[in-house]
Amino acid sequence: MTNRRTFLSQAAASLGLLYVTGITPELFAQAHEHAKAAPRNLDGQPFRFFTPQQAADYEAFAGQVFPTDDTPGAKEANVVRFVDFALSEIEPQNKENFANALKALGEQAKRTNPEAKSFAALASAQQIEAMKALEKTDEFGTLRFYTIVGFLGDPADGGNKDQIGWKLIGFKDDFYYAPPFGYYDEQLMKEQKEKA
Amino acid sequence: MSAASPQRKYKLADQVDFLIIGCGASGSVLARELSRNGFSVVALEQGPWLDRKQFSHDEYRVAAQSLLTNNPQKQPTTFRKTPNDKAKKQSAFVYGRMVGGGTVHFTANFWRFHEIDFIEAGKKGTIAGTGFADWPITYTDLEPYYTKAEWDLGVSGQAGVSPFDPPRSKPYPLPPMPVKSSGVIFEQAARKLGYHPFPAPMAVISQSYQGRLPCAHCGFCAGFGCEMGAKSSPLPTMVPQAVATGRCEIRPHSYVRKIELDSKGRAVGAVYFDENGKQSLQHAKAVIVSCNGAETPRLLLMSKSNQFPSGLANSSGLVGKYLMFNTFTITGGLFEHQLNEYKSIEVTRILQDFYELDAQKVGFYGGGGMDARFVWTPIQFAAFGISPHLPQWGSEYKKALQKYFTRTMYLTGHGTSLPLETNSITLDETVKDEWGLPAICVTYKDHPDDLANQRFLVARSMEILETAKALDRWSFPVEEQNYGFHLLGTCRMGNDPKSSVINAEHRSHDVPNLFLCDGSSLVTSGRGQPTETIQALAFRASDRITALAKKGEI
Repeated sequence: MTNRRTFLSQAAASLGLLYVTGITPELFAQAHEHAKAAPRNLDGQPFRFFTPQQAADYEAFAGQVFPTDDTPGAKEANVVRFVDFALSEIEPQNKENFANALKALGEQAKRTNPEAKSFAALASAQQIEAMKALEKTDEFGTLRFYTIVGFLGDPADGGNKDQIGWKLIGFKDDFYYAPPFGYYDEQLMKEQKEKA
Repeated sequence: MSAASPQRKYKLADQVDFLIIGCGASGSVLARELSRNGFSVVALEQGPWLDRKQFSHDEYRVAAQSLLTNNPQKQPTTFRKTPNDKAKKQSAFVYGRMVGGGTVHFTANFWRFHEIDFIEAGKKGTIAGTGFADWPITYTDLEPYYTKAEWDLGVSGQAGVSPFDPPRSKPYPLPPMPVKSSGVIFEQAARKLGYHPFPAPMAVISQSYQGRLPCAHCGFCAGFGCEMGAKSSPLPTMVPQAVATGRCEIRPHSYVRKIELDSKGRAVGAVYFDENGKQSLQHAKAVIVSCNGAETPRLLLMSKSNQFPSGLANSSGLVGKYLMFNTFTITGGLFEHQLNEYKSIEVTRILQDFYELDAQKVGFYGGGGMDARFVWTPIQFAAFGISPHLPQWGSEYKKALQKYFTRTMYLTGHGTSLPLETNSITLDETVKDEWGLPAICVTYKDHPDDLANQRFLVARSMEILETAKALDRWSFPVEEQNYGFHLLGTCRMGNDPKSSVINAEHRSHDVPNLFLCDGSSLVTSGRGQPTETIQALAFRASDRITALAKKGEI
C-alpha cells in the first residue's frame, strides 16, 4: 500500500487542500485509504446461487437492460457473477425473491412465445416484447435493480468490472476533488478572476 | 467498541445521575453537556459504535446491509393511511442506528427554524381538524443554543446575506463551502426572478476546525458516514468529548425494552438487551429518552404498567400522536455542459423566499425552503433519479445515463407537515422484531394543505429551471407519503399536561425524573431540516436539566 499512500499524499498536496497547518499529506491519505477497497475479481468463479438455466436467463435479461452496443454492457461488467456473489454473500435473504422474479420472467417468455423453452431461448426482439409486458411488475423491478447495482456498484463487490459502468456515465470515485467541480462554477471563477 | 475507548465504566447497580437512552443527534449532546457539568452518565445506544475508518463508499453494501440505519429485516414495521385501514407489513421509515444517530449519514443541511415556526398558530389561527399549536418556548429562547450548536459542532455558512434569516447572536464559525455548478445556476436564475438565494449552512467543515480534517469534496455525504470526520455529526465531536470527561460511558448494542418505575412512580432505570441478547437493568437517578420520533414513543408505549396502563407518561393520550414527516419535492433539469454534481457536498445554495406563505393569497397553509442539490450516487441515479419520462432500460437508457448523469441537477422543496392526531406511532402486536418486541405501526396521511404546498413548490422550481434555460425539465409526482425520513412531534412539548407530553424543560408531565428530548419534542415541523433544532433543544435541555438537578428538584 506504500505506492497507494504516496499517490494519495501527492494527490492531496496537489489539490491545495493542505493550507491549514497540522494536516499532513499522510494524515489526509490515511483518512481515505481504508475507505476504498480493491476491486473483486469474479472471473471464472463457479456459480453458487444460479442454476445454469437461471444464469442464462438472467444474462439475457441484463443484456437487454445494458446491451453491448457501441459501448460495453452488462456482459462486460460481469453483472451476472456479481448478482451470484451478492445473493450468496451480501443479501442471502433476497435469494427467494430473486428466484421468483426469474420464474416470472420464464413464465412471461412462454406467454410471449409458447414454443420457447426459456427467456434466454427467445429471439432478442421477443425478449424485449416479454420485458415490456412485465415492465410494471415488482419482479421486473427486482431484476432491473440488481442489474443496475452490478453495472454501477462499487467494483469491490465484483460488478462494474474495470469501472465500465462508471466510465459510461462519467462518474469517478477519486475521494478528493477541489473546485471548480463543473463547467458553470468554473465560468464563475473565471469571471471573478477577471474582475479582480 | 471504538477508537474512543478506554472510557469510564459503570456497574449496572451504580445509580448514575443520568441514564440517556439513544446516543444520536440529541442524546450525544446531552451526554456531553451533562458529563461536562459534573454528572455521571450512561448512554445506551441500540446500534454499533463505528469509527470513521469503518465507513466506505460502497453504496450497495451500506444500504443492503443497513450498516448505518435501522434494519427492516430485524425491525419490521407496518403501515396504514388511516386508523380504519388494516396495516400492512412495510418499511415505513429510516433512522440512524448507531452512536451519532442519523447525523452520521445525513446530508448535513443545518437550518435554524425561524421565529414564525414557534408562534404560527397564535399568529395565524389554529386549523380545524389539526393539532396545530404554538410552542411553549420561542425562537428567542432557543437562539443561544442554535449558536452553541453551530460553534460546538462546526457549521459552514454565511450569515447576514438572506433577508429571511432569523436574528442571530454570532456568525457561522466557518466560511461557506465552495459553490458547485448547481448553486451557480440556481443563484443566477433565482435572482433574475427576484428571489434571495444564499450559501447553504452546512454541518460540514470547510476548513480545519478543532483538530478535525476539512472536507475533501468526495461527494459521499447523504447516506454515508464521513471518512474524513469533516461532517459535523456528534461522532467526531460530542461523543469523544463526553468520554473525555471521565464521567460518561457510551454503551453500544444496548436495545432498551422498558423503563422501570418504583412504587412512587419514579423512574429507576431501564432494562435492555445487550449484544448477546442478555437482559440487564441499568440503575439511574433520572432517565432521558432521546431515541427519535418513532422509537421514543414506542419505548413509552412498551413501558406500560399498572401505574401507567396506557403507556408511560401518557396521561394525555398523546404519546405517539401528531407524527410529522415534513414534505419533499424533487424537480430536475438537464444542462448543456457538465455540472459534475457527484463531487463535493450535495447542497451549496438555498433560498427561503417561500418560507412563510400567505394562506389568504395561496389558498392553503404552509411554506418551505428550497435548495439546489444532487443526492444521487450512481446506483441511486440510474435506478430512481433519472427522469421518469426517459427510457428505463435498453440502449436508449444507456445513452440517457451517459448524457444526464453529469449534466443534471435538482431543486428540492422542503415543506411543512401539519400535526394530525391520526398520524401516529402505535404498537403492532401482530408483528414482532428480532427481540420479540411489538413492531411499530405507522399511520400517516398528508393533510391536503401539505400536498398543495408541495405543488406550489414544484411550480416555483419549474419556473426557476425554465429561467435557467434547462434543456429538459421534469418533476417527480406529488403523492401522499408512506415513508418517513424525519420523525417529528410524537411526544410534543407544551404547558398543558392535557395537550402535551413534556413541559418546556423536557420533563414529562407525569414522571418527575423522566425527560424526553429528540424529534418527538417538536410542536411544529418547521420547513424541513429539523436536525439543528433537535440539537439546539438538546443543548437547551442540558442547561435546564442541570439547573433542576443542582437545585435538587429532580
